[in-house]
Amino acid sequence: MGLTVKKYISFILLPALLAGAGALVVSCDKSIDEPERQAYSPGNLDEKAGAWKPYVLTGSSEVALPEPKAVTSAEYKAELSALKQKMAGLTGVQRDAISYWGAGAVYRWNEIARELAARYNIPPASNAEGKYPVPDANNPLADPKFPFANPPYTARALAYLSVAQYDALVAAWNYKFKYRREAPSKVDSGIQAVLPVSGLPSYPSEDAVVAAASFTVLKAMFPGEVPFLEAKMKEHRESRLWAGMNVESDLTAGADLGTAVAAKVMGRARADGMSTANNQALTAGMIEKAKLLGLTEVWISQESPKRPPMLPNYGAVQTWNFDRETMIKLRPGPPPALDSPDFKKALDELKDIQKNQTREQARIANYWSDGAGSYTPPGHWFRTAVNAAHDAKFSEVRTARTLALLGTSQMDAGICCWDTKFYYYYPRPQQFGLKTSVGLPNFPSYTSGHSTFSGAAARVLGYVFPDKAGSFDKMAQEASTSRMYGLIHFRFDCEAGLKCGVAIGDYAVARGKADGSGL
Amino acid sequence: MNQSIRYLVAIALLLPLAARAQMPHDAIYMGKGSVCVAGMYGRSTWDQYWENSLKRENLNIGTHTTQNVMLMPAIGITNRLNVILALPYVWTQTSAGNLMGQKGFQDLSGWLKYKVVAWKGFSLNAVAGASLPVGNYVPDFLPMSIGLQCRTAMGRLVANYKHPATGLYVTGHGSYIWRSNIKLDRDAYQANDRLYNTDEVRMPNAFDLGGRLGILRKMWQTEVWVERTACTSGDHIRRNDMPFPTNNMQATSVGWYGKVQPRNIGLSARVGYVVGGRNVGQSTSYQVGVLYLFKL
Repeated sequence: MGLTVKKYISFILLPALLAGAGALVVSCDKSIDEPERQAYSPGNLDEKAGAWKPYVLTGSSEVALPEPKAVTSAEYKAELSALKQKMAGLTGVQRDAISYWGAGAVYRWNEIARELAARYNIPPASNAEGKYPVPDANNPLADPKFPFANPPYTARALAYLSVAQYDALVAAWNYKFKYRREAPSKVDSGIQAVLPVSGLPSYPSEDAVVAAASFTVLKAMFPGEVPFLEAKMKEHRESRLWAGMNVESDLTAGADLGTAVAAKVMGRARADGMSTANNQALTAGMIEKAKLLGLTEVWISQESPKRPPMLPNYGAVQTWNFDRETMIKLRPGPPPALDSPDFKKALDELKDIQKNQTREQARIANYWSDGAGSYTPPGHWFRTAVNAAHDAKFSEVRTARTLALLGTSQMDAGICCWDTKFYYYYPRPQQFGLKTSVGLPNFPSYTSGHSTFSGAAARVLGYVFPDKAGSFDKMAQEASTSRMYGLIHFRFDCEAGLKCGVAIGDYAVARGKADGSGL
Repeated sequence: MNQSIRYLVAIALLLPLAARAQMPHDAIYMGKGSVCVAGMYGRSTWDQYWENSLKRENLNIGTHTTQNVMLMPAIGITNRLNVILALPYVWTQTSAGNLMGQKGFQDLSGWLKYKVVAWKGFSLNAVAGASLPVGNYVPDFLPMSIGLQCRTAMGRLVANYKHPATGLYVTGHGSYIWRSNIKLDRDAYQANDRLYNTDEVRMPNAFDLGGRLGILRKMWQTEVWVERTACTSGDHIRRNDMPFPTNNMQATSVGWYGKVQPRNIGLSARVGYVVGGRNVGQSTSYQVGVLYLFKL
């Protein structure tokens, strides 16, 4: 080929030089930093939590739990030696599992539920006839998958999850301090627990309680994920043995208790009216009523083909912290008439944002979008709450109480907001020529769901974490305004929704103040 | 400016120079001290796309259009080392639905092209490229986003044979493209069938392969081409979901490219059509350019 040595050198050197230049532009390390959560010993054991008021149980002794064998018994000693065997020669995978679940039982199961919500939050596709098939709970993995975990669905799923965790833990705390069986590492100094050990009695295991209660609720809410959930539950349970935190009988008792309590909670879920939430036959009457109130142009689906509105009868689902009569009173007053100066002003404001949307406005709209493929606005607030509870080193039962207060407020907010949306049937800005930079939800505009969820959430979290109340309020305000920046809500949708949400949050706070926790 | 330089500039403007405007995937070089600046307009449209492997339309998008204007200078450092730069301004729109079009400066790209081996009509060329996002555009509002906010680095080999007498040529290239992680405005997202609780997104790397057959003469060029671009990993658009930056976007395209440059001023045109793909639109694209060639 007649190549000179020099040419060979340039053949080798040049690509090397260029690759070096490339490395300056693109870092080779592509691993992602996800926040890690460490195990902790709770700041307060909440020894009296067995007396806290549950939501569905009549009392913390409603589900019976037999007395455990004494730590001096032969049976218990056999359990201790079995535990030592389990703990011997832990693998890396086992250590990872210990540390993952060590972050907190309620913490992790809430995270798992949010993940499932995000994975299932996709609207069904239209079929060849231009219709949208309804997801089928009996065939959850067919197209479309069941459920479509939209905001009302997710609010409800997370509410029941949190209530089941809370009620089951209240019952667990009752038995823990009734039977007072100490942790294995306190009974036998030959057991070196891998995670921090507090003075909390270990029978029944709070981890097994939470795992079983969560599994029972989530398998009903996400029936296509039973194998995934079973694997999680099994790993969670085993991790407590690997870590030397519980003996087998602690776990079995916890699983029995968690399953039994969650079954009672799911009894409420089956009768709460969700089965008729998607009753599309009611919309004609709703539209008539809205027109009688003076609305000249009702909400119409902006999708092609036109998609039936999301859960038009969700407003009839049973609320948690107030009754139906109160809910009607909470419903905000009517939005501006479409020919009023107030409406024109609000529409002009959006037109101006569309024309001049700043990058910061787009960022806020995106940050709070929580749309398709996300864990929805309730999921966003659950994440905020469970992180705050972790930061504050809450006990499992106090974390569960926080999430139950939040969860019930989120479901109440969803119900009240959906009632309002389908009562007024108010059109979206897109019916007046606006585009969106975040995606348009398929239901009436007034009031804003994000605003209602966020107002309620900030109120509840401000009560639980008073020193952070200001920042929660700011977040709620930003979440609310984000819907204007995304061009899918009028200012009055957002303001009325936020105010209503705060009022809804107040009912959850009142419940919290009266639940016997003294918090 | 003295008289002789002015004379030289005038000559440069008028003399028919060889048609040497070049691209990062060919074996054509600007001579030392020559610069060719291309001003281009491109338009790409699709009304069908692959949702994973399912080809579908979307009545809430209708026809999706991406347009760009781009400045692309190519500079001859030596006769066998060239620098090429490109900066596009991009805007998107749809004919249906309510997704807001996005617009802005996208990424600044640069390539170094070096002729490693030249023997008779055969040449082997090494290209190193890199790109940096210039605009602070939103990367995950797909399919409206104008880019993915990746920093990239690319290594490419271009092999070429040109028959000296007729100008008939055949070119093949292959590249590997490293893509950096990106940051989103939101701090959680769904990808790879799981939820990530962070704003950072791990982006798959990519590769491309291309083949070209054409004729290159002093004043004109014509070629047909086929290209394959794909990510080396990544997830797929889920049923009825929107695309996401982590998607394994793949496309096989065919097209034609031509150029006439009788003097300093030239014209180029390119058409392309995606014949197969995954997680991309089946786009038809064209690009026209005005080339201006001068000596430094």
